[in-house]
Amino acid sequence: MISKFQIASKNLLRKKTRTGLTLVGIILSSWVLVSLLGFNRGYEKALNRDIDNMGYQIMVMAKGCPYEAATMMLQGGAGLRYIEESVVKSIESRPEVDKVTPILMQAFFDPNKGDGGGIAGYFGVDLATFPAMKPFLRFHKGGWFADANAAEAVMGYEAAELEQREVGDLILVPQKNVQLKVVGILQRTGTQDDGTIFVPLRTLQKISGLDKITTIGIKARKDADLTGLEASLYQLPDMQVVSFSQVKQTIMKLIATARVMVLSIAVIALLIAMVGVVNTVLMSVLERKHEIGILKTMGAMPGDIFRLVWTETLILCACGGVLGIGLALAFARLSDLLVRRALPYAPGGELVAIDLRLSLLTLLTIVAVGLLSGMYPAWKAGRIRPLDSIRGEA
Amino acid sequence: MHRQPGLPSKRLLLLLPMALVAAPLPAAVSCELNNPAADVPRLFPESTSFKTIAFSFSSRGGEPVFKRVVGRLGGVPALYAPLDVPYVLYEIYKGKEKIGYIHGVNQKGQFGVLEVFVSLDLEGRIKAFYLQRVAGSWANKFTARKFGTQFVGMTLKDFAAFDFIAGKGSGRLAAVVNPVPEALTDFLGVLRALNKNLILMDEFFYAVEKQKP
Repeated sequence: MISKFQIASKNLLRKKTRTGLTLVGIILSSWVLVSLLGFNRGYEKALNRDIDNMGYQIMVMAKGCPYEAATMMLQGGAGLRYIEESVVKSIESRPEVDKVTPILMQAFFDPNKGDGGGIAGYFGVDLATFPAMKPFLRFHKGGWFADANAAEAVMGYEAAELEQREVGDLILVPQKNVQLKVVGILQRTGTQDDGTIFVPLRTLQKISGLDKITTIGIKARKDADLTGLEASLYQLPDMQVVSFSQVKQTIMKLIATARVMVLSIAVIALLIAMVGVVNTVLMSVLERKHEIGILKTMGAMPGDIFRLVWTETLILCACGGVLGIGLALAFARLSDLLVRRALPYAPGGELVAIDLRLSLLTLLTIVAVGLLSGMYPAWKAGRIRPLDSIRGEA
Repeated sequence: MHRQPGLPSKRLLLLLPMALVAAPLPAAVSCELNNPAADVPRLFPESTSFKTIAFSFSSRGGEPVFKRVVGRLGGVPALYAPLDVPYVLYEIYKGKEKIGYIHGVNQKGQFGVLEVFVSLDLEGRIKAFYLQRVAGSWANKFTARKFGTQFVGMTLKDFAAFDFIAGKGSGRLAAVVNPVPEALTDFLGVLRALNKNLILMDEFFYAVEKQKP
């Protein structure tokens, strides 16, 4: 016996072009919807990962330092402000603080780098605290420094690649002409660590003729009140506090505006697709009035006709939804690339994260909205009076 | 005045380049002229224009060609040189006529990378030598004109009779004077880079040109 699905499929296939165009509408709207939801999740996840990979949630710097440091990294500016190392101890003693690590950022002019010279940046890190704060760092080759005063360096993968360095090779600190032995090369992380040269803090202080630091990385205890800790750190004289949760909030606020706009477009696309569904099914019902009338005279109840027409909507939406989600999955990397180009800041890793759960959720949404849209044509079909329809056709 | 805690500042975005972004570097490092508009006329005075071409092993024969080149280089694979490393070639023109090439390679030096460029005529003869990057207090000795002119007129054949590990050989290359005896690693690195440069040019361009009818 022929099933309801087969009858509904045959009805849809009678008008191939109309059905095809409606299907394209549903495919496109599902594609946009699932990609957008995937971006929604992926971006936040990637941003969180980037921030987690910093190893610390808060950075404390001498006032003016962050901006100068950013300039230093970008354009070769100099004149960093410094912090006394005693500040590290005072921060470490706070109950909310889990770990702290002192960092010294230094930039040296390398006349042989780039066009007319360039800046080589070095990070002086404390062997006792820095590796513990970044346990996720993995070594491509070698390991951390032998001791806190070693004339050694650990290079990020990109930095090593750029300088063609291997473990055991030497590097020369420009201006100071100090030789450092490369003892470790980190695996790629997709973060700023890839381009960094790490040196023991004491060694970099000795090279620079300083006994101060530029930055303190702070990792709070899990149950700590971060806002309270930030508030207390702001009380430190002449200190700038950079909270990565604030940075994250700022970025997410900027992204949220764009997201609302795109989500609105996706909803409009979905509504247009559903209007297409209503139109297609309604047209089909009106064209089959006579046929539905005969069915009714043969004993079909309004509920049977309703279900039959509703099944057509179900088939359209389910097929369109599955194909749209399939296309979104197939072109996820392309969407990733396009989104990455469009955004002012894109964290590393997957930006459009579509998984099975999200795909099913989108499919359910499409089918549910589709079935709601299909109620009117199905109801209209169920109400067709057999005699009127047969008489009308005659 | 202290800023109120908990209020995210847009100024914090200024930190992003330092704290988060760290502009992703290319997957592998190519060797390009820092300032082609100024460098090309200097290395090829008779040129009127140039065209930049990018190529890689993966786009020109893949693994078999890579293995062959490694074999020609003495069996020592280059550091950090996967198949997709982009090589950049500058094709040099005088009017509409192609008159030569400028090509550079990265080579491991004593304290960092060596970026070694040569300008070549259409027969593969070195017209000019340019060491764009070398680290060390002796850098200016290697970048001096006196050192570079020793390579002018050499071809790939001049590199055939030289042992780049022992630093010994015969012919024109053996006669090249190391300006800094204590910087033997950089000196041999420069010679190895020149050899690699000419082998890559031979594999990808001169051999192809010869095969054309």
